[in-house]
Amino acid sequence: MEKGKGRLFMKNILLLILICGVTLIVSGCWDRVEVNDLAIVTAAAIDKKDDNQIELSLQVFIPKALSGGGSEGGGGMSGGGAVTMVASHKGSNISDALSKLQSEFPRRVFWGHCKVFIFGEKLAKAGIQEHLDFLLRHPQPRERAYVYVSEGKAKPILELLAPLERYSAEGLRELSDLHIGMKVTLQDLDEKLIGIVQAAALPIVDIHPPGKGQEKLQGEPYIAGTAVFKKDKMIGNLTEKETRGILWIRNEIEAYTVTFKPGAEKGEISINPIKASVKLVPEIRNKKWIMVVKIDTEGTIIQNGTNLNLSSPKSIKVVEKAFEKEIEKRIELAFQQTQQELKTDILGFGEEFSRKYPDKWKKNKGRWNEIFPEIELETEIKAHIRRQGYITKPGGMPEKEVKEQ
Amino acid sequence: MEKGKISALQMAIMMYPTIVATAILGVPSITAKYAQNDLWLAPIFASFIGYVTVYIAYKLHKLYPKQSVIQFSEYIIGRFLGKILGFLYLFFYIQVTGEIIREYAEFIVDSFLVRTPISVIMASMAFLCAFIVYGGIEVIARAAQLFFPLFVFPILILIILVLPDFEFKNIFPILADGIWPPMKGAIVPGGWFTEFFMIIFLLPFIKDRKKGMKYGMITAFAVMMTLVVVNLVVLFVFGPATASKVYPLMNVARYISIAEFFEHFESVVMAIWIVGTFIKISVFYYVTALSTAQWLNLSDYRPIVWPIGILLVVFCFWSIPNTLEIERFNIGVFPLYGFIVQTIIPLLLVVMAVFRKRKSKETV
Repeated sequence: MEKGKGRLFMKNILLLILICGVTLIVSGCWDRVEVNDLAIVTAAAIDKKDDNQIELSLQVFIPKALSGGGSEGGGGMSGGGAVTMVASHKGSNISDALSKLQSEFPRRVFWGHCKVFIFGEKLAKAGIQEHLDFLLRHPQPRERAYVYVSEGKAKPILELLAPLERYSAEGLRELSDLHIGMKVTLQDLDEKLIGIVQAAALPIVDIHPPGKGQEKLQGEPYIAGTAVFKKDKMIGNLTEKETRGILWIRNEIEAYTVTFKPGAEKGEISINPIKASVKLVPEIRNKKWIMVVKIDTEGTIIQNGTNLNLSSPKSIKVVEKAFEKEIEKRIELAFQQTQQELKTDILGFGEEFSRKYPDKWKKNKGRWNEIFPEIELETEIKAHIRRQGYITKPGGMPEKEVKEQ
Repeated sequence: MEKGKISALQMAIMMYPTIVATAILGVPSITAKYAQNDLWLAPIFASFIGYVTVYIAYKLHKLYPKQSVIQFSEYIIGRFLGKILGFLYLFFYIQVTGEIIREYAEFIVDSFLVRTPISVIMASMAFLCAFIVYGGIEVIARAAQLFFPLFVFPILILIILVLPDFEFKNIFPILADGIWPPMKGAIVPGGWFTEFFMIIFLLPFIKDRKKGMKYGMITAFAVMMTLVVVNLVVLFVFGPATASKVYPLMNVARYISIAEFFEHFESVVMAIWIVGTFIKISVFYYVTALSTAQWLNLSDYRPIVWPIGILLVVFCFWSIPNTLEIERFNIGVFPLYGFIVQTIIPLLLVVMAVFRKRKSKETV
């Protein structure tokens, strides 16, 4: 009896050791990847070369620069040394260039943390479809990565040593998160190009030249407008001002301040739009395709350069009216440009029409390129000013000069 | 042969992952190909096949309460034809199980263990399932109960986390091209719903027999709801791009990003997938082993569990050469194949059995 118990105990112990031993070897041997064997890509730029080839540039993280930074007084992070390096190679497409690049690289390229893709302007004009295919097909690149088009070549943007952020791509991503300009992810782009109107818009990146006393590479990338794509080819661009109008229609306005002249008054007022609800209501009246843009927005006054006393309801009314006018102006400017100059439906009007009038859409599907330039835009804007900041009357202005209304 | 007993609820808990596990991953994109933005209606139409199949299986079970289809088909259509039909079922389940294991392994290889040999992934899963099948139906039921929360809650959490990225207007226009596209889209998920016929193998081991039908229907309804919700989630996030993804739910999980650090959720989908397919393969494996034993008139199915496991892994290679073939099989073959074997033939059996019983009563 005793003996039997002891044997059972031994058996259990052996079994336990066996199980523990097994866990050591079943944890995925083939696909074991050590972090120190990876070259973590933080951003990628793709440029077109003359001889029908492309150049793939990768901004790769240098782990040494971060870990060594401590002893040198945080030198790695505060703009002294770079934490990233740029490697590039030519090839006939991304995967070809990548494999060539890989052969000169001691570490395996890892895309999982790449959050910025920049297409060079030349490449964007020639078409991005085949490159998009690689990024969407490969299991590593994220659908949520942001996509940009560069003014000129894309590679120099990666080479910048942005003074504020750890590396230039990070700065670019932060800008997008602030809703400066359009924010387009890889997934959005794919959706737009697959969708029924096959037009897309991407933010354009330009380099802010370094100031006096800064080193040559210490420029900052910034978003300079919008690139307009018909199918997968870039056909034109919108300026920064026009982009703001587009952002209003797409309900992405967040970071821009609206500055305008209220009515007949002297001076300008600045308002920070806090939130906006935007509704696109398509209508077909007597065979006319009309898009009604309904905007309901709230704002806070952040600067008053006029002599209006904004605590009186009357003058607030005046300012609200002028604010509405200003928004309308911006929207119409942007719409004019996309409709008449570019003739490309980047605002998704086609989708709205197809949702509300599926039958009529089906009949006119092939003619959308003809219909779009004919569409009439109507705006119904309601602006509210909710807060006026810490002071009521214009700051630093004697009582007499304030207009009470 | 099998001495274990399970409750009707346990059966439901076994069947739910058995159907849903593979259906939530690849099927939404296949459905989207035919139904575009009406893909969420497709499972509703498809579920009718599920209800009908559950009803047929329960009817057959009531006529022959202690037997499975392998055994009672001999009574219905004669010994010789019955054996042939039994072999058909046997072959069907071996082949489909092989296909499921392959599908599981292809997903793992495709997105996570890129350089691991696929045979290792398939063999280790088959090995694990062999253990649980060897343990008997009670063990499978208990395991399903244990893993059920691990399967359901991650799906719910995933949906909540991806909520900020929903574009609700992607659903419009509803039924722009009439009812036909979602009907076409329902064909493929319909194939999944025919798998409910497998309850015919589980019903004889149920304690509370009267509830079998009720829980079967509840499961079919739950599966339908899950598929509708998953299809809607995919549609809300990806819109027109849904059809171009191979595993849309996977891409949805990758798309989650909350407060900039709460991201990279694909391992959750992997966990759901592994847990779900583990139950799914176990149930299929069990049915295969049990029906083989019944077909051969063995007194116990346990001795043939290991040999069948080897056969299953071999069938993964024999029946499917690549991922494209899996999709082709799921679209072009399985809906009809599954529907004939698991719904039409049982329906004919019911009709014949009822007819026969009535006749024998009249003669007596």
